[in-house]
Amino acid sequence: MLHSFFSEMKKQDQQLEIPEFPETKVKAINWWLPSGIAASFLVGCFWFFQLSQAPEAPAEVIIISLEQGENNEQQIIIEEKAFIDTWESTTSSLLTDF
Amino acid sequence: MNRTELEHILKQLHRDAYIWARQCCQFDDELAKDMLQQSYLKILEGKAKLKDPKKAKTWLFSIIRYTIIDEYRKAGKVVPLEESYDPIDTIEEVDSTDYEGIIKKLPEMQREVIMAVFYHQMTIAESAEILQINVGTARTHYERGKKKLKELIQKSQLIEQNGK
Repeated sequence: MLHSFFSEMKKQDQQLEIPEFPETKVKAINWWLPSGIAASFLVGCFWFFQLSQAPEAPAEVIIISLEQGENNEQQIIIEEKAFIDTWESTTSSLLTDF
Repeated sequence: MNRTELEHILKQLHRDAYIWARQCCQFDDELAKDMLQQSYLKILEGKAKLKDPKKAKTWLFSIIRYTIIDEYRKAGKVVPLEESYDPIDTIEEVDSTDYEGIIKKLPEMQREVIMAVFYHQMTIAESAEILQINVGTARTHYERGKKKLKELIQKSQLIEQNGK
């Protein structure tokens, strides 16, 4: 009884309109979006590291010193040196002499 | 398994899958189409993975069924467990050639096991896999469903004979 019931039901289902198999497309990745994100990230990193870097010492240091001349006149001496570490006070002799 | 192979399997099972979706949706054509599409999408997006290609049909049927259950849950159409176990008494008359009408009178679980076994030629164990229940429970639904369906068919035939 059940078998004839289902075979009749199947016969009836032959008339069913079966929908087409849906066409599936592989989602194309829009490369503009990840490229944009990557570029923004790089620019951000660049700015971040640039800001966090310590300011470089100037290549040359100008030393201005006031000295007393032979005739007790005061004179300004302007010197240019590569690094301040190498600079020695021209008036240091005053300390030792004193 | 790559996407092309998966698509090939789905195409081969498409007719059966649609009919199964329809049967799980109480023969609602539009809902069945939507549910089938959602199930295919789940599969092709890799949300459901086929481990054993030999079990492709039970795997696909199970995905379809759970997609429909999810949809019913969202819509608030959840059938209580007792209702799916206990036979519903039929009062209204059903034409003996109204196969879908007769099948609809079976409780949900019984209907699904009966359809899987008698219509889709699956074993009780396979139907248990689709419904994610143990074989013993599936067998109970099968026996009760079979008995209930026979009664319904006889009743509809009797009504038809008396009508003539």
